[in-house]
Amino acid sequence: MSEIVITRTREQLKREYYKALSRKLILLTVCITGILLFIGLFSLSVFDSISLGETYEIIWNHIVGNNDYEPRSLEWWADRYIWNRSIPHILVAIIAGCCLSICGALMQSLMSNPLADPYTTGISSGACFGAVTAIIAGITFSSITGEMGIVTNAFIGAMIPALIIILISARIRMTPATIILIGTGISYFFNSMVTYLMISTDADTLKTAYIWQVGSLDGMTWASVPLMFTVTLVGSILVLLSWRQLNLMSLGEESAVSLGLDVQKFRILCLILMSLMTAGVVTYVGIIGFVGLVAPHIVRLVIGGDNKYVIPLSMAVGTLLLLFADYVAIQFANLPVGVVMSLIGSPVFLILILYNHKSRGVLY
Amino acid sequence: MNRIEEAKKEYKAAERKKLMLILVFVVLVAITVPITLGFGVYKISLVDSIITFIQHITGNITNPKADTFIWNVRLPRALGAITIGAGLSVAGAVMQNDFKNPLAEPYTMGISSGAFFGVVIVIVSGACIIPGLTGQSAYMVNAFVFSIIPIVLILLVAKFRKVTPVAMILIGIAVMFLFNSISQVMLLASTAENLADAYSWRVGNTSRIGWSELPLLIAVTVVAICLVWTLSRKLDVMYAGDRGAQSLGIRPNRLRIASMTIVSLMTAAIVSVSGTIGFIGLVGPHIARMFVGSNNKYLIPASAAFGALFIAVTDTIAKVTGPDGLPVGVISSLVGGPLFVYILIKCRSKVWM
Repeated sequence: MSEIVITRTREQLKREYYKALSRKLILLTVCITGILLFIGLFSLSVFDSISLGETYEIIWNHIVGNNDYEPRSLEWWADRYIWNRSIPHILVAIIAGCCLSICGALMQSLMSNPLADPYTTGISSGACFGAVTAIIAGITFSSITGEMGIVTNAFIGAMIPALIIILISARIRMTPATIILIGTGISYFFNSMVTYLMISTDADTLKTAYIWQVGSLDGMTWASVPLMFTVTLVGSILVLLSWRQLNLMSLGEESAVSLGLDVQKFRILCLILMSLMTAGVVTYVGIIGFVGLVAPHIVRLVIGGDNKYVIPLSMAVGTLLLLFADYVAIQFANLPVGVVMSLIGSPVFLILILYNHKSRGVLY
Repeated sequence: MNRIEEAKKEYKAAERKKLMLILVFVVLVAITVPITLGFGVYKISLVDSIITFIQHITGNITNPKADTFIWNVRLPRALGAITIGAGLSVAGAVMQNDFKNPLAEPYTMGISSGAFFGVVIVIVSGACIIPGLTGQSAYMVNAFVFSIIPIVLILLVAKFRKVTPVAMILIGIAVMFLFNSISQVMLLASTAENLADAYSWRVGNTSRIGWSELPLLIAVTVVAICLVWTLSRKLDVMYAGDRGAQSLGIRPNRLRIASMTIVSLMTAAIVSVSGTIGFIGLVGPHIARMFVGSNNKYLIPASAAFGALFIAVTDTIAKVTGPDGLPVGVISSLVGGPLFVYILIKCRSKVWM
């Protein structure tokens, strides 16, 4: 009698498990297909006298080193255009999407707070302050000037809040609430300085500063890729490897400690890692919002809260979201990518929340 | 027995201390208001301004010009500032309590972005919900109507299915992003002057408040604060978590929605008058909590008193920076940000978690 019950539940469990697994696989497939599609479409928008299939051919040929076309032939031009203008842009979008959404997922798990995003500890306002002082006041924190001056300034500014939090954490015991509150205090301070600087300047400089603040993927060249890529790759691998610890964290601090995790240390290490990753991206593309906050939520609403899957799938969803928004922004309207992203993304998000079934074991 | 007596005494002493703290804040507010009357574009010395004020009350006006400034411009502004500070701070305290989230604030449900959207519609297209209305009153009406859309949405959803606190927050985030992106698209397609208008509306400002809108604002705020204060015992129970609250005889979801609706309506009224004043709604309750703890019976009045004091002081500083100087929102973050971090480190507060 009891055996029957067990086998039935086991079968049921199996079925449920496969169903959940297939949902994850479907989401992943959709994302990867979408990303590949937008790589082609984007290249097409840069150089439109070839077909969609040929763009993939040209990209592939370049990757395998088979790109010695006859100079000034159609393929030669296509290769140059796509490789020098479209590919860096796409790569930056992919890296930024991955990095921001992975940081968002990490932060939400660490703080066990659905309102947390990569910028919660004040990274964005610090970076913004750095960049705006360079743009408006012309003050740089290092000896580097010009375009790179803004970049280094933003990076240094982005690290200030993290440094403050780390310094304080040596003195008092940090709970997620303390970290969040200190981050909020710091970011309010920097934001008010930024507002002050922006009010006191002329319209043209204001516009440059504003565009930086909103975030933009325009004008990305190969020069921006290496640093972002390295930081994001190393960081992502580290985060992906620590999914077990993150799952422990979601059980609550006390349970995590009793299961053998040094929560304080782990949280600070993660914060440092995350600050470096976010700073690396924000420095080049400015403050792109929405994706870091919403991509992990979308993933959790679809597949549940296991960080083993949430983190990689957040990367995929975030990248797709950013690429799609960027394509639409460039193709149909001259709008900042962040605006388009929230315009498209928030209805999707709203529908997902409203049609979310409790059975999927969602959320906190 | 002795021990019990001692504990009782200690408890009474702690309660008295909390009451004293609240009283101190209230007294400070009462001192700040007359002082703030002396600051502004038109130079009137501190003593003169207080004399003018008393003269107006006794009906014996000697300096009509100063009297106009004090009575028609500065007094409503000062009263508006303390109302806004108290209202936003209490709204923040209730939201943080409802969602058990230290990042929650009055605007978490998307009220500010809804209001902004309403104002942008007036600025760009000139259309108002009530036809024929123009100018400042059109801004206010539209801001109020659009800022309650997110609340209505959440109430509708809650009617048909069970909404967890997290789902409410997520709905708020979604609505906020949606409204913000539409406003931004509309503004980017519009002229530079419209952008400047919208931007200056958005950065919260107390200088728009006059006698015409003040009575309604004060009435709404006072009623809302009193209502949530009567709920304070029930709100306390929410700290026990939803299940704990349920077993103590409270319907957490109902209470959450009710209190959220009350403070959101108040916030909508405030935002439609003053624009989005940040910082105080988030940080005011935290600072009050560090002084009096999480007991809502004291926390709500303490938040109100502290918020009123803080905005009254920062508004005075804002007036000192001149007519084109910094808006009160900027000043409050500039002063309050470092102050907040300092208090946080000093108190090593374990009020949260």
